[in-house]
Amino acid sequence: MKPTDSGHSAADGPLDDVDFGILGDIRQAFDEADPMPADLPERIRFSLALRGLEVEVARLAAEEDRQVLAARGAEQSRTVTFDSDSLTIMIRIDSNSDGTARVDGWLAPPQRREIEMKTSADSLSVASDEQGRFAFARVPRGTAQLIVRPGEPGQSGSGRSVVTPALIL
Amino acid sequence: MDDRRRVAVPTSQPDRGERMARLVTAAREGSEDALGQIVTELSPLLWQVARAAGLSAADAEDVLQTVWLRLVSHLDGIRTSSALTAWLVVTTRREAWRVRATARRQLPADQDWLAALPDTEPGGEERAVLDDQRRALWAAIRQLPPRCQELLRIIAFVSRPDYSAVAAELGIPRGSVGPTRGRCLAKLRAALADGPEGSLR
Repeated sequence: MKPTDSGHSAADGPLDDVDFGILGDIRQAFDEADPMPADLPERIRFSLALRGLEVEVARLAAEEDRQVLAARGAEQSRTVTFDSDSLTIMIRIDSNSDGTARVDGWLAPPQRREIEMKTSADSLSVASDEQGRFAFARVPRGTAQLIVRPGEPGQSGSGRSVVTPALIL
Repeated sequence: MDDRRRVAVPTSQPDRGERMARLVTAAREGSEDALGQIVTELSPLLWQVARAAGLSAADAEDVLQTVWLRLVSHLDGIRTSSALTAWLVVTTRREAWRVRATARRQLPADQDWLAALPDTEPGGEERAVLDDQRRALWAAIRQLPPRCQELLRIIAFVSRPDYSAVAAELGIPRGSVGPTRGRCLAKLRAALADGPEGSLR
């Protein structure tokens, strides 16, 4: 059958094998021209591995890289901001001399919370102070995710954990 | 029709819908493995949805992470494979628009993502026929209105039984790809038939 046969390729006709063939070709063409990064599902699975399902999702709101003057010359400092319904989480990522990352963070509104940094190796935990400041002195480079644990009753967004997408340190 | 075409069609086994529904149930009950299988199965589709919306690769990755994290708290309302796919596609599209709307992510004025795609790589002689077909396909796709390009790019990655649900969610009341061919696919077929190569085989 030729696809051009009138009546067989009209918009209101039922999908036939030629259509499925074309859709298959489109899929193959885009799969080759613009493939999903092969390791993306793994990163997503990493960030989904949460203990409780009741979570509030923080979205990446802003990201800025800049050169900062350090003792040994220019170094890269990266600032990342996440927003959720109840919290804003801002972190600055700097390099330690041993190759690990230092992460300084702030919560807004400021409050004491338990904050977990999940990495592919293990989990680090710190607490923020009354000003909402927290710091992870040494974090292994690689994939990492922040989880702000539920706070005291009465605090903004205290009932649920707030999680960020996985980011590459 | 040759076999290659048939093989390239997205999975359409009758048990796929049941399998996905079982995975959704297990994920709702807290199975990380079930959720992970759903992620592996549907992320390639969502990648295309985000990229078709004009996002950079980095932004598309962020959007996919956000969408999957959000799904976790929406699993309660989702029972079927079609509902799951439709929710994921429309949420990815909304998140992509949201990201695009933020001032810091300026896009080129024209959002012709097709123009930004790399050309088909030159292959050996044995690939020449296939390359001709591929070039004809790209040429035909480029003739379509942007709306049709986006729809077909997305639908091509959707499992057959989910076409109607996804097309409906994409907000095309008539002419969608579903039980009927739809305006976009009909146009593409016509363009392929009229193309310089002359036929679709």
